[in-house]
Amino acid sequence: MKRRSFLSTLGLAASTAMLAAPAVQAADLESVSLRLKWLPQAQFVGFYMAKAKGYYEDEGLDLAINPGGPNLLTENLVATGADTFGLSGGTDSVFAAIEKGLPITCIGISHQETPFVFVSKADGPVQEIADFKDASITTWFTGANYVLFGMLAANDIDRTDMNIQPQQVSVTPFVDGQVDVVTATRYNEYYTLMQRVGEENLKRFVPEDFGVSFPRDTLIVGNDFAAEHPELVQGFMRASVKGWLDAFADKEAAIDLIMKEAPTLERPHQEFMLDEVEKIMLAGAAAEQGLFTIDMDAVSSAHQILVDYDVLGGPIDLEAAFDSQFIDAIPSAERLPE
Amino acid sequence: MAGAQPVARRFGAVLPLLKGVVVLAAVLLAVELLVIAFDIRPYVLPRPSAVLEAILRTPAAYRDAMVRTGLETLLGFGAGALFGIWIGIAFSRLRFLRETIFPIFIVSQTIPVIAFGALVVMWFGNTILAKAVIVFYLTFFPVTVNALLGMRAVDEKQVQLLRSFGASDREIMRKLRFPTALPHIFVALRIASALGLAGAVVGEWFGDTTGLGVLLLQGMYAENMVAIWASILCSAVLGVAFFAAIGLAEKRIVFWGGESA
Repeated sequence: MKRRSFLSTLGLAASTAMLAAPAVQAADLESVSLRLKWLPQAQFVGFYMAKAKGYYEDEGLDLAINPGGPNLLTENLVATGADTFGLSGGTDSVFAAIEKGLPITCIGISHQETPFVFVSKADGPVQEIADFKDASITTWFTGANYVLFGMLAANDIDRTDMNIQPQQVSVTPFVDGQVDVVTATRYNEYYTLMQRVGEENLKRFVPEDFGVSFPRDTLIVGNDFAAEHPELVQGFMRASVKGWLDAFADKEAAIDLIMKEAPTLERPHQEFMLDEVEKIMLAGAAAEQGLFTIDMDAVSSAHQILVDYDVLGGPIDLEAAFDSQFIDAIPSAERLPE
Repeated sequence: MAGAQPVARRFGAVLPLLKGVVVLAAVLLAVELLVIAFDIRPYVLPRPSAVLEAILRTPAAYRDAMVRTGLETLLGFGAGALFGIWIGIAFSRLRFLRETIFPIFIVSQTIPVIAFGALVVMWFGNTILAKAVIVFYLTFFPVTVNALLGMRAVDEKQVQLLRSFGASDREIMRKLRFPTALPHIFVALRIASALGLAGAVVGEWFGDTTGLGVLLLQGMYAENMVAIWASILCSAVLGVAFFAAIGLAEKRIVFWGGESA
């Protein structure tokens, strides 16, 4: 960071010397990056929107958006300083990072409720949660499994002798009837299922209906950066919120933007994704308080599940790991669609 | 038929490429007919025409991806081939080197590239260099092994003959040993080109924005079979091009006809 401030001082000195007015503004921008949890898609379009409209520049940020990938851990990249901000896996990955002692803090939560659901066929053997007992179930063993365990436990179903298998990339085993219950994110796999099976033939089991919630897609920042540049963190949040509200207000433009970023994507799927993401981002506490609200009740309920299942060695300091000051500094009215 | 000779030779030079394209087209046509005939569902196997249509809908995206992945492969493959030939020759000359370094090479090759890839990206970041290193890692070994094998395939009687004419070690290397090894080296280059392409695609699965690996990943995430096959098809075209280019080089360089002639 020292070198960075030295460089910006140098830049400032140089531009003052040149007395070139337009250059001053460019030199003042702080170079920062946002690491996403996956490749460009509508799930992240608000950030692209904020960048395209110059909202980050208005806050003094020259922001680069770096895509994620299957083998990248956003928390690690932010902790090492390779990236300034990150949109990481979710509350679960933040807990794990804090437990490992990584110097990061969550400054906002994007997906207010569990972004995935469990799906069975409307005419299949699984009609209610009790039917899970004798069903063959696949789920992701990267967090979703604990949501499932939590749902089962909340309904007094003993999972020890159940048939729960890790889910691979494809939902085809479910479509073909080899599996009774499949896990699907509301914005991606569920779309594929709708295409192949038809929405009317699907039955959804929403974790929230069974007393379990798992907020995901967490915005994180490195502790050093936040301590040194609180005003830039504040600016990043302000610009991101504006970008997202613009994306919701003009979805056509938002999808255009993402299709420009990744032209091989399927437009109808991206449109569906944006609609679903909007619902998830404005659900729960965010419905009242606005985008990126950190709902500590939901966070602690997710935390409790992971403690109960010994995924975490013990409780972590949630107050330190989740810092609402930046997002709360933006009035709720400015964080909600008109 | 003497006049037809140069034409035939020129045709012979582009023959591998032409053959590849014709075979690819025939396979695509056969698949198209099969899909229609057996009414295969599109999410099991899409019609090749639908795949081609997807490519033509956003040609720039696929072209950029092919250029990027091709460049990564070319860089890594070039470095791997040169290093492999050089170290293979060194191994054949220096027993000490062969006995100490070669086992390390073998151990290095037992590490799956997907595990190694994560490391490379941490070291080199999301640069084209990182992908080139992965390609290098996959290509240098087969070239080394075959270069060493080729160097040892030399008939000792020929070496003695040259020596009796007063040839130096350097001349024997240039005029006898290296040319003898060349056909073996080219076999390895063919293998390495396909391996290298796979390495470049996998290397792109660590947070990149362009390349066939990225398109493949995006297709897999959305279970978009057409997109998956479109990137597979582009990879195949790239692979055929590399393979043909090596065949062409072989025809020119090993003009006397080697193993594969």
